Amino acid sequence: MPFHKINGKMVEAPVQPGQRMFSQRGAMLGYRGEVSFTPNLTGGQGGVMSMIGRRVANEDTPLMTVEGRGTVLFGHGGHHVHVVDLVGDTLCVEADRLLAFDGTLQQSTLFMGSQGGVMGIVRGQVTGQGLFTTRLSGHGSVAVMAHGGVFELPITPGQPVHVDPQAYVAHRGEVTNRLSSALGWRDMIGRGSGEAFQLELSGQGTVYVQASEEKL
Amino acid sequence: MSYPPQPTLPWSTAGQGPVTYDAYSLPVNDNVNPYAFSVELNGSYFLQKGKMVAYYGDISFQGVGHGALDRLLGQQFNSPLHASDWVVAQGRGKMVLADRAFDLNSYDLDQGNLTVRSGNLLAFEPTLALKQSIIPGFLTLLGTGKFVAASNGPVHFMEPPVRVDPQALVGWADCPAPCHHYDHHYMQGVLGGLRRLTGLGGASGEEHQFEFVGAGQVLLQSSEALMPERSVGQVDAEPGVPGGGLPQQGYQGGHQGGGQQLPNLQVPGLGNLGDLGRRFGL
Repeated sequence: MPFHKINGKMVEAPVQPGQRMFSQRGAMLGYRGEVSFTPNLTGGQGGVMSMIGRRVANEDTPLMTVEGRGTVLFGHGGHHVHVVDLVGDTLCVEADRLLAFDGTLQQSTLFMGSQGGVMGIVRGQVTGQGLFTTRLSGHGSVAVMAHGGVFELPITPGQPVHVDPQAYVAHRGEVTNRLSSALGWRDMIGRGSGEAFQLELSGQGTVYVQASEEKL
Repeated sequence: MSYPPQPTLPWSTAGQGPVTYDAYSLPVNDNVNPYAFSVELNGSYFLQKGKMVAYYGDISFQGVGHGALDRLLGQQFNSPLHASDWVVAQGRGKMVLADRAFDLNSYDLDQGNLTVRSGNLLAFEPTLALKQSIIPGFLTLLGTGKFVAASNGPVHFMEPPVRVDPQALVGWADCPAPCHHYDHHYMQGVLGGLRRLTGLGGASGEEHQFEFVGAGQVLLQSSEALMPERSVGQVDAEPGVPGGGLPQQGYQGGHQGGGQQLPNLQVPGLGNLGDLGRRFGL
């Protein structure tokens, strides 16, 4: 069921019997109809093994299952919300940025350390991503939270996009990301530009960027 | 070095610089931008302390309850213990209101009633009467006129029947008072009992909602970040009065930004003055 964005900080999602939806705990603002909210022990889809995987990967944001019949409004902490409609492609996003997503989407944890070796570890530190990220794929809607408004930058082959690691929110499609550094002697003596690290995204897809360098 | 043609980036082409306003071009009783509201003042206006950011003209600000204003107070300001949080702006000119970059909106009431969370109400015309709602932490406006309220994110209107998260509720108009709705569905059964006993699995955070029924409008703010709650004072202890004689509880419980301004009834050395001490800034 597609999410409907009401304003910059609120989304509306229809719930129908037989269809599950996952949302961050405590993110419900209001609802119509008969809807139940159940805390999700495993933090998403799959069984206990998936849960352990998420715990180990530190991608285990407390989620709740939303079931029933009606419409639910979601919003959290005054953060801006961006809706991504997936049509068979994948979205990589940090689990704590997930506001709500359709139960029809496949949720998995992705190891990012294989991309880039040592720089991958540094990238995880700088972006706040860590070494793991959550991957959603299939058909359905995802509501992603960001500090400040979100805009999309298209990535086409041969034309990589550079993004400030702190402003990076999520990416979609077949994209590899690499941390490019422009460290110089100025950074060593504390007179750097403050833009020593950049995230270089290449491939085919879209990157979502927030208009703020503040983390959630 | 030649670069390949860049893909079109979704930059807005309609970039606008800051707009400069003067005393004449400031909007009349309208929003300057989503976060600032301009009031054309000709007479008096009630506003919460510290919400005025700028003004043009000849305006004086006085605490509610000062001398000549007492009559006005008696007629329009029916929440005496709340008075210390409000000032009266008097004079002619234009006044800009803002509150920590929260979204501001003005609402017109026409022989209506609207109940709003006390921390979210910024200012109102003296043609409206302000009263304390029997729901603790809320204020009710009655009559005809305009008022300005703040919300974290734009306000969304919903028509009952609807259940809303307590922290997302800004206020409601015309509907009968809300009631509590508890959803402990998942606490039932064997697994639920185990969950309750062990605390495993935690809570969904949505066990408790306010339920609205009947005709009217419910105002929702799009986030759960609460504005600091303004104390609405203490109701006299009387049989049958909800919350009477008790310090206001408001909606506490670990909400971010919930720095509530509760009257401290246990101020040492103040004897039984209670809330009076707070009124006089002691």
